[in-house]
Amino acid sequence: MAAPSAVGSFPSPYEIETPPGCEGWEDMYPYYGRFDEERREADEQRFWFWNSMHFPVPMPAFDAICIDTAYQALGSWQNRVFAVPPAMGIDWRCINGYIYISGNPVLDPEKIAERAGHFEKRAGYYYENWDELYAKWRTKMDALIVELGELSVPQLGEYEPDEVAFGDQETSYVAVLDAYRTALRLADVMWQHHFEFLLLGYGAYMTFAELCKANLPDIPDQHIAQMVAGLDVLLFRPDTELRRLARLAVDSGVDAAFVEGRSPDEIDAELARSEAGCAWLAELETVKEPWFHMATGDGLYHTYTSWLDDPRIPYASLIGYVRALKAGENIERPSDHIAQERDRLAAEYAALLGDEARAGFEQLLALSRTVFPYVEEHKFLCDYWFLTSWWNKIREFGDLLVAHGFFENRDDIFQLSRLEVYSALDELLLTWATGGQPRGPKYWPPIVTRRKELLARLGEWTPPPAVGAVPEAVLDPALIMLWGVTTQRVHAWAREQEGGSELTGTAASPGVVEGPARVVKTVGEIGDVREGEILVCSITSPAWAPIFSKIRAAVTDIGGVMSHAAIVCREYALPAVVGTGRATSSIKTGQLIRVDGTAGTVTILE
Amino acid sequence: MSDGSHTRRLAELRHADSGSFGGKSSTLGELIAGGIPVPPGFAVSTSAFRAFVDEAGLAGKIAAETARISPGDVESVGAASHAISEAMRFAPVPDAVRDEVAQRYAELGEPPVAVRSSALGEDSQNATFAGQQETYLWVRGADHVCDAVRDCWVSLFSSPAIAYRARLAAGEEPAMGVAVQLMVDAEVSGVLFTCNPVSGDPSMVAVNASWGLGLAVVGGEVTPDDYLVSKVTREVVRGHVHTKEVEYVPDAGGRGAVRVEVPEQRREVPCLAAAELDALMDVAERIERYFGSHQDVEWAIARGGELPASLFVVQSRPVTAMKRPAGTPAAASAMALVMSAFGVGERKG
Repeated sequence: MAAPSAVGSFPSPYEIETPPGCEGWEDMYPYYGRFDEERREADEQRFWFWNSMHFPVPMPAFDAICIDTAYQALGSWQNRVFAVPPAMGIDWRCINGYIYISGNPVLDPEKIAERAGHFEKRAGYYYENWDELYAKWRTKMDALIVELGELSVPQLGEYEPDEVAFGDQETSYVAVLDAYRTALRLADVMWQHHFEFLLLGYGAYMTFAELCKANLPDIPDQHIAQMVAGLDVLLFRPDTELRRLARLAVDSGVDAAFVEGRSPDEIDAELARSEAGCAWLAELETVKEPWFHMATGDGLYHTYTSWLDDPRIPYASLIGYVRALKAGENIERPSDHIAQERDRLAAEYAALLGDEARAGFEQLLALSRTVFPYVEEHKFLCDYWFLTSWWNKIREFGDLLVAHGFFENRDDIFQLSRLEVYSALDELLLTWATGGQPRGPKYWPPIVTRRKELLARLGEWTPPPAVGAVPEAVLDPALIMLWGVTTQRVHAWAREQEGGSELTGTAASPGVVEGPARVVKTVGEIGDVREGEILVCSITSPAWAPIFSKIRAAVTDIGGVMSHAAIVCREYALPAVVGTGRATSSIKTGQLIRVDGTAGTVTILE
Repeated sequence: MSDGSHTRRLAELRHADSGSFGGKSSTLGELIAGGIPVPPGFAVSTSAFRAFVDEAGLAGKIAAETARISPGDVESVGAASHAISEAMRFAPVPDAVRDEVAQRYAELGEPPVAVRSSALGEDSQNATFAGQQETYLWVRGADHVCDAVRDCWVSLFSSPAIAYRARLAAGEEPAMGVAVQLMVDAEVSGVLFTCNPVSGDPSMVAVNASWGLGLAVVGGEVTPDDYLVSKVTREVVRGHVHTKEVEYVPDAGGRGAVRVEVPEQRREVPCLAAAELDALMDVAERIERYFGSHQDVEWAIARGGELPASLFVVQSRPVTAMKRPAGTPAAASAMALVMSAFGVGERKG
């Protein structure tokens, strides 16, 4: 369906050129992830949007597992388990290293009706037994993290250990391949858990939001979110612990160690010189497990490591909190106030509704509050704790390949797809067993080098927010619930395709401020953020919490009113506009911009 | 002779008095009773109007002229209106009424006042439509107040008013009350609704505001600044500042209001700051609570005053034309609503 020109248009995915010097990027990805000629007729007629929420930078070959497995899991639950009536799963394609996605709709009314029968039974069962099922989920998730921790990657010695010769232990080639298969399996299982409750959780929340808007058409989205949001959320716990540690540092008189510009090692070294400092370091150790399993980014790339791997972020935060405390500021999260406000809003809105609407409002609010712990907690457990640990497990396989000359660095493993890694391990184990000469050490390094170069060059390229056809309406519940991609949003993207100095998004946290922009495209750039700047990024994650005390406002490409940036900005009372589609590509660091978090607009002033 | 039967202080009036003082005056009385800041003043009863008609011997002329018209015939209505109005304008206000008005006016301290007609009947929306809501601003001096009272009475026989009554089944004899209030020299004035009349959202207060006296906003002569403010958090959910090119101000040396151009540098300045909006929200919530229904309120903020004392309400009436929010299907349970979010039971078009 060609779109009427009044709503604008998107480029065809087939017209997008490969940036100079990036020829052959396709080889990093599976054959089915391309806009190929065989599917051209169908694919050009579909609406594809850049999933910059999860994949803001070009995809390393290995990391593509987070596309495949995630969409296997999402599709399984949405399409094959719950049979969401109008929507199956998500297809993906790659353009110049960036991931575009599109939903598969169900159009046949009879099929929709058939699916509705299944959905009502199965989803109904989940909603009715939510607390019990969620408790089981937590147990499964905890066990999975333990299993990952216990998975060991065998070393390849000159001779097999005695246990193989004199006992039942498997030979190492079996054990290594087993371990790799297990690692992949654990990721499959994690994604399965990740999506088990996700749609139902967001669905309940969205229904509550719709009921609010049907009866209170002007209610700000953030009020709806405030009424539902959990109070004691796992996601905020790591930051809460840092505040506590900062207070401890001040109270025990070791705060002088926390000097801006010092590295975590330098700070630790100074602390280790005093008894009080050693006590503080001991306290830090108790906090690390599990709260330093916080990711430094949204977790879907291997580059997003945990606070354990890269303590610069929590230490920057500690330095900031210590300084604030010494300046006499209150650094407590105002959780009492948040709790009171949440209940006050709920009571006042309920009082404004008629009796019938009020009954629905109260039931759906209760349901939303029931499902919400999952929506917030799965991020910590799946995306942060599990994934950052899992990338490290894969790095252990990288070490093995480095030890046998296949790579120079352990992280080079992420330049191979997961199947290429399997193949490289196969060859390594074959030649290790046979004593033959492996080809890998010659074969892989140039590929790794070329792919790193490709990723760097592709990173300079700006993907359009969407390609293909402009849909008349977005009906897919998953796109709306998980990505905030609504009909209005898509049409605004299409209109803005030509550019312009004003961007529109979702008004996520009220207020108007002006200031210099700081565009952050990768997690490594977080450290560049300066006091008083406005953060412009694809999406933020809770691990970025420390910089929210520095910035004046936040703007994101993707995300709805429940996105992390929105939640944190409301906590810090900073204006936020989320889901602008093109903020990181339209705004340059240093430009003066105005963020109107009440109206949902961002204006480039110079 | 002044026996006090034709006038009453606004503060003494309640809804029950609307039959003799009209809707506007009795509502102002209610507002005062509800603790809402209303400019002080007094009301002229319909009995004064009747005394006027009687003493001037106008009853026969009114009956004869109105009997002659046919409702659809614009010319006959215009001729009757002209004949009655001319006769009324030249008839004297009875001394008893004149004395009482002068005395009440003196009690107020003889300030500039606003003289407004206060129509009978519940249907004040239609009364507005029928042109029965004349207002005379910045009236000074007892004689001029009496003239303005008479002019309000005359407005009862405007062409639209006559045509409107002719369309209705014949009811009572027409009569009208008048409200006389201390005039607020407004720096800013406007209208607020205790809901969003456009969307029907009951959690919002919709405010329109512009420079000067309320005429410019009520008469649609400017595009006012508009604000949508949450009752729950007092946040401005939406706000637009418009270019306000004209305003009405009291005629400096004389009487009445004059339309002047807003100086260039003030046109795009927001005419309400947070403190003013807050004071308006307080008043909006009190009025809504007092009347128990959504209200359409005219307000003014006096020049040179200090909030909240400088904020006055000059009129309030029920919101009748309000969109009903879409709401949710009446019979739907919460779970059915969740199911429909996933497309269960959805009819595909």
